Amino acid sequence: MGRPPVSVGLLLVSHSARLAEGLRELVEQVVQGRVRIAVAAGSEDGGLGTSAVAISAAVESLAGPDGVLVLMDLGSAVLSAETALELLDPAVRERVRMADAPFVEGAVAAAVEASLDSGLDAVLATAVAARGQGKLG
Amino acid sequence: MNEAAQASAELTVEHDHGLHLRPAADFVRLASRYRSEIRVTNLTRAGGREADGRSLLQVTALGVNSGHRVRLTARGEDAGEAVRALSDLIRSNFGAGDHP
Repeated sequence: MGRPPVSVGLLLVSHSARLAEGLRELVEQVVQGRVRIAVAAGSEDGGLGTSAVAISAAVESLAGPDGVLVLMDLGSAVLSAETALELLDPAVRERVRMADAPFVEGAVAAAVEASLDSGLDAVLATAVAARGQGKLG
Repeated sequence: MNEAAQASAELTVEHDHGLHLRPAADFVRLASRYRSEIRVTNLTRAGGREADGRSLLQVTALGVNSGHRVRLTARGEDAGEAVRALSDLIRSNFGAGDHP
């Protein structure tokens, strides 16, 4: 793993900053700095909610040729994420995917996949596959 | 071509965190370097659950804690190498780091 961390970036979008930061802490523990992770969480006034402006800024902070996977805590974040994508430069937007995946399992599994230098679609597929992975086996 | 090659090993996971978090991710990352299909079984828990060695969620769902016995099975052209490398990782206590 000698090359610099140019892998798919992960964006954690949550209604709660504490929830997203907690998940970031967990994911960091798993991938140990191999993957770039950003958080966009909470409303613009600091309460619970999501902000399209914050999401688009976070995507830009991660943007690169390898792309960005966006994970959301609840379906109600999807609208903000979609609005955020509209705010982005089309060249950036086309390298962004939203994952229809569970927030915690999806983020952890996607991070490990990204740490293998897998491409954006493979990281997306791994996140989505987490949907079928029951906790009770 | 030796498609029928198969290798396996049974060993004890000593890491304080078992096969969770960083150790599990290290295992999955290493398993992903081989072409062989790799299965992990937790021999300590009743039922002997089995996981795809390339799936972090499946591996962590085995509930392998410190002191548990696991069986590694690989099937494919590099099966022997894969089992050796993964066994070495477990025996080295995942680099012996004390963080999770």
